Amino acid sequence: MLAPALVIVGGLFGASLWYSVLKSLGYLPFIGQFQITLEAYRNLLPGSGTPASREFLPALGFTLWVSGAATLLAAAGALGVVVVGLGRTRAPHAPRGIVPLLNLTLAFPHLVWAVAIALLLAQSGVLARVLFQLGLIATPADFPVLIRDPYGIGIIISYTTKLIPFLLLMLLATLHAQTDDYAAAAATLGASRWQTLRYVTLPLVLPALTAGMLLGFAFVFGAYEVPALLGVQFPRMLAVLALDFFRNADLRSRAEGMAISVLTGAIVLLVAAVAYALTARRTAGHG
Amino acid sequence: MQRGAVGCIWLYALASVLLPLGLFGLHALGPRWFFPALLPDSLSLEPLLALIGNPRTQAALGLSAQVALLVTGLAVLIGYPAARALTFAPLVGRGVILAVLFLPTVIPPIAIGIGLNSLMLQLGLAGTLIGVCIVHLIPVLPYVILTLSSMLSRYDRHYEEQAQVLGAGAWQVWWLVTLPMSLPALAVAALFAFLISWSEYLFTALIGGGRVITLPVLLFALVAGGNPTTLAGVALLIVAVPMLAILLASRLLGGGPQVVGVR
Amino acid sequence: MTTLTMHNLTLRYPRQATATLADLSLAVASGELVVLLGTSGSGKSTLLRLIAGLLEPTAGDIRFDGQSVRALPAHRREAVLMFQKAYLFPFLSVADNIRFGLRVRGVAREQQRIAVQQMLALVELEGLECRFPAQLSGGQQQRVALARALVTQPRVLLLDEPFSSLDTSVRRSLQAAVRRIQRETGVTTVLVTHDLEEALSMADRVALLLDGRIAAYGTPQQVYTRPPTLAAARFLGITTFVAGTLHGCQLTTAAGVWVLGAASACAPAEPPRPAVVAIRPEQITLHPTRPADLPNCVLGQVQEQSYRGDVIEYLLKVAGLPEAVRVRRPTSDAPDPIGPEVWLHLPPAALWEVRAG
Repeated sequence: MLAPALVIVGGLFGASLWYSVLKSLGYLPFIGQFQITLEAYRNLLPGSGTPASREFLPALGFTLWVSGAATLLAAAGALGVVVVGLGRTRAPHAPRGIVPLLNLTLAFPHLVWAVAIALLLAQSGVLARVLFQLGLIATPADFPVLIRDPYGIGIIISYTTKLIPFLLLMLLATLHAQTDDYAAAAATLGASRWQTLRYVTLPLVLPALTAGMLLGFAFVFGAYEVPALLGVQFPRMLAVLALDFFRNADLRSRAEGMAISVLTGAIVLLVAAVAYALTARRTAGHG
Repeated sequence: MQRGAVGCIWLYALASVLLPLGLFGLHALGPRWFFPALLPDSLSLEPLLALIGNPRTQAALGLSAQVALLVTGLAVLIGYPAARALTFAPLVGRGVILAVLFLPTVIPPIAIGIGLNSLMLQLGLAGTLIGVCIVHLIPVLPYVILTLSSMLSRYDRHYEEQAQVLGAGAWQVWWLVTLPMSLPALAVAALFAFLISWSEYLFTALIGGGRVITLPVLLFALVAGGNPTTLAGVALLIVAVPMLAILLASRLLGGGPQVVGVR
Repeated sequence: MTTLTMHNLTLRYPRQATATLADLSLAVASGELVVLLGTSGSGKSTLLRLIAGLLEPTAGDIRFDGQSVRALPAHRREAVLMFQKAYLFPFLSVADNIRFGLRVRGVAREQQRIAVQQMLALVELEGLECRFPAQLSGGQQQRVALARALVTQPRVLLLDEPFSSLDTSVRRSLQAAVRRIQRETGVTTVLVTHDLEEALSMADRVALLLDGRIAAYGTPQQVYTRPPTLAAARFLGITTFVAGTLHGCQLTTAAGVWVLGAASACAPAEPPRPAVVAIRPEQITLHPTRPADLPNCVLGQVQEQSYRGDVIEYLLKVAGLPEAVRVRRPTSDAPDPIGPEVWLHLPPAALWEVRAG
């Protein structure tokens, strides 16, 4: 009964991963190239003088910066909402109706969300207009460049705001699943509300938050649409760089694009493995 | 629970839904809205109606719906037996199977998308509706199976045994008990499948090869043109359908917090 | 009307050292209510699943009216099992739940309707047919489950702790209802419970199941007053066991020589042998002075005394017996206050020999 699912997911997934790896190793049978070579990967290293070598490391750094910043900001935001929203209460349960509302944000694909961010934060966007009406700026040019800026601010804002509901749902689910009323137990032991939050609620949600952050980081690290829409030509994020190289007519670039995509996948896999190990250790400790 | 504190969460959640909706709505209905005006001079349905009347939009809307519905149907048909086997059957190598199913949810689309493109070209499925649907199943199926099996694991099989001892044969048990009992889980799984497929961009763009233009692909292409009215209109179209679906589903199902995923 | 017999039933899971059920044989007469009594893990629920056809035995046979039903799958066995929870299908109304068994057998709708009304009357739930399970109390749910089980007139009714999740008062009324309905319908019934009082009050016969074996089988009185083995006696709340040498009707113990049983049942021809005898705590009588005309009297020191409402329980140390003797006397005839020493009388007819195991 599992077979069709495994064939589709495992088969297609495995085959295409295999294809990507082979091609990144220069195995291109249709142009008569059967030899396996690490050339494409070497070309990514600094000092090899290729266009890829000038782009790869900055792209890696930029990708790390964007995904790290977005994940940390989102975690801080989600925690902040939980603390401000639920910190004063004994029982940390989500108020009715909040969950469906948060789920509604799932209706916005990242692509659409990025468009909204662009409409809001462009130099002639709605925020700039509000500032103009308040007399804080005189022309659109006075508004800082947040969309297609070299620091990836627009991308970070887009992912941060989209990740907060995700992390928030994760935190609320963890708190909701907590059948034992540890908060009440702590209260009877004399803990104040803020002490309860600090010593009971936070440690309870921390593993879920960590796992969620790593998943979020992995997702942003390999994402394409938002940086393609809100990013600049240099530096590009890895996924954008990979696809741009792959779409280049030059066959050597194609292999390099493949190599970048394979490396991106490998890094994400590593992060996911860490996330998995963290959750596994926790469940094992409880089993 | 303190009023102000709850209000804070509500405000946040409400803002994160209503702000983008309002932004799209004003842009889609107010084509003449230039810096530094805070609001458009006038609102009219005309540009939105024109957009919906546009054959390109209609084609994209139709394709998106076809792909998403087909993927949803396939995912539930393939995912349900898989989830049941995963939950109830004594399996050898369960961990490996779970890992295989879990991988596509974390490995970024870009890492396999390019290889997938070559693969589908070879299979002659690149640029076809079926090809796009099959490829959508890669991110969709894991979510469907994991959701179903987590919901099924809470399902008490005594109900089936009860039906059995009351005289129901295998098919009757399935049709009269198992299926009705699984309906909420199936509905949630179908919703996830639909959401993921409807929102998918990269796989569609890579495998569709410019021939399967769904709404997200259309939106992406329109960004280069930079007309906010059209962009906002298409964005509204993309958001409206899943929003209705989610509202309907939470009405029907209720329940506690559900984490769908990062996608 | 169906007799239910089990013949040398064994169930053993592959990687398990001991069998869940070992060579078990049991006969339930037609229309009888037999209670399977045992601790959790004794295999009593497993036995019900075997009879219902939800499990396959490793060896042995199950027969209805002498005919083996092993080849029949669960849905053709006409043995309905009711679980601890009612398991009413939540998406079906009360009436639809009750007629489920008729529906899957393709019975005509009009007949279904009549049968549902009869069943609702039987379980005293008339007028609730349109309710849904979530709108019923726990006791009502079990009544509906009972109606649903009986509507097809099964040959055997199997009840797996159907009252254990209910409050005491609801449980009492449902126990009475089940007993009444079982008598009215005359359906051969096996009920599983770990509750001694429930077993004694409901059963025609009680089968005590310990470690996958029948340790005692008989009327409630027989099982309660004369459990044949040490383990069975312990399960039934007996704590006083005295080891000694039995010769005919005389047991020589460290506490003295006692007379055992009715004189007619003695077999003096047998050579002396080691034996263990038991006595129920409520059968021992207490006397301030040594009763002159009674056999089997020993002096005890009072260690503990606890008030239990209807009875008072004493722990008495008797010279020569390793463990203190537990005695229960009705509050009305208990010596209160009791002195530091008291005479115990163990009536010969209340002493019986128990086998080891």
